[in-house]
Amino acid sequence: MAAALALLQINAQRTGSVSPIATIVSSIFGFAQTAVSATIGGARGLGATVVSLPRLESENGRLRARNRQLIEENARLHELAAAYAAETSVRPVVNLYNGVEARVIGFPPENESRAVTIDKGSRSGVRRDDGVVAADGVVGRIVAVTPFSSTVLLATDYTSRIPAVVQRGRWWGIARGNLGSVVVEYIPQDAPLRIGDVVVTGEGRSFRSGVPIGTVTAIERGDATLYQTAVLKTSVDLGALDRVVVITQ
Amino acid sequence: MSSSRSKPHIAPFVGPAWYVAAAWLAAALLAQSTVVHFVAIRGVVPSLVLVAVVWYAIRVDARRAVLYGLAAGLCEDALSAHSGAAWTIATSLSALLASLLSRGFFADSIPLVIVITVVTSLARALLYWVVAALGGYPAGLGLMHLREAVLASALNALVMVVVMLLGRRFERVR
Repeated sequence: MAAALALLQINAQRTGSVSPIATIVSSIFGFAQTAVSATIGGARGLGATVVSLPRLESENGRLRARNRQLIEENARLHELAAAYAAETSVRPVVNLYNGVEARVIGFPPENESRAVTIDKGSRSGVRRDDGVVAADGVVGRIVAVTPFSSTVLLATDYTSRIPAVVQRGRWWGIARGNLGSVVVEYIPQDAPLRIGDVVVTGEGRSFRSGVPIGTVTAIERGDATLYQTAVLKTSVDLGALDRVVVITQ
Repeated sequence: MSSSRSKPHIAPFVGPAWYVAAAWLAAALLAQSTVVHFVAIRGVVPSLVLVAVVWYAIRVDARRAVLYGLAAGLCEDALSAHSGAAWTIATSLSALLASLLSRGFFADSIPLVIVITVVTSLARALLYWVVAALGGYPAGLGLMHLREAVLASALNALVMVVVMLLGRRFERVR
């Protein structure tokens, strides 16, 4: 038996093939070796992990702290970038009108009127009826002034009235607040208004001419009326005001 | 009405000290004029000021309630654009109404306070628009104001319930 097995091995070696015995033994040991190697590898890894746990913990803590710090820094930089963008957007307007830059600091308590409070008052040269604009156009006008703050009645308030001109044909009208939007009333019936027409301020007490109020989004024209009315989308997003410019007189 | 006036509150409440009430009112006004604006639902905001006024009015006698409402209304008018004295009048009378309505009831009953808050909110809105119209505010848009008043009264009642539940929890913890 032993000789037969030995001969099988010798024959396999001479012919360069793998003997059946080697195949069986290798297969069996292969599985065993895999299992043992995996176990040893796992144990070594576990050992290494246990050994380096304090170091990993401190490193993890350090990275978490760094991550928090970076998140805070990122948020601060975003805020600074937004503030810079807001400031640079109104800077040309300040220079153009030689106005007073102000920030929106408050709103009417019950939201019954469309108005905002700004942080500049009579000490900064703000007066009642001064016009207020933002980078994109008309915001409203000053209706109340205290030494350190003022109230701006927005163009969308129901009591707001601003002289307006449809830029394309120089047709005059009165821009009246309609709570959510602005409507331009008293435009002559024969004016061929179009959707998309730009409406700007006419020369008046609060504004010089040419400050954008909005663009026409709808036209209301009746057969039996003397005038037509244009509904505007305001050029300034009055719900997201931050920095404005008061045009002092 | 005369009999209800003579009735005392059932719960023997001694209202909060004036400086505590004033501090709550100041906090409500500050929040109302700065951050509440950002949670407007269809342009309607809950009135923390009214909630503070009702909360105080149902705990004290009518005279103190009116004084508190007067102070709250004056501050609101001062912070508003063109309300004149509309909030002063409306809020003072609302405080009186809340105080009178709460007579003969426990002031810490949540269903009762919800009813009082809703009634007071609606009455205050009505008073405000009447006074504003008399003061020259353009008439019209009545249906829109009614819708806003109904939504505002629901929001006020919700805020009041939250305030009362938080108050109870705080009392229990103490």
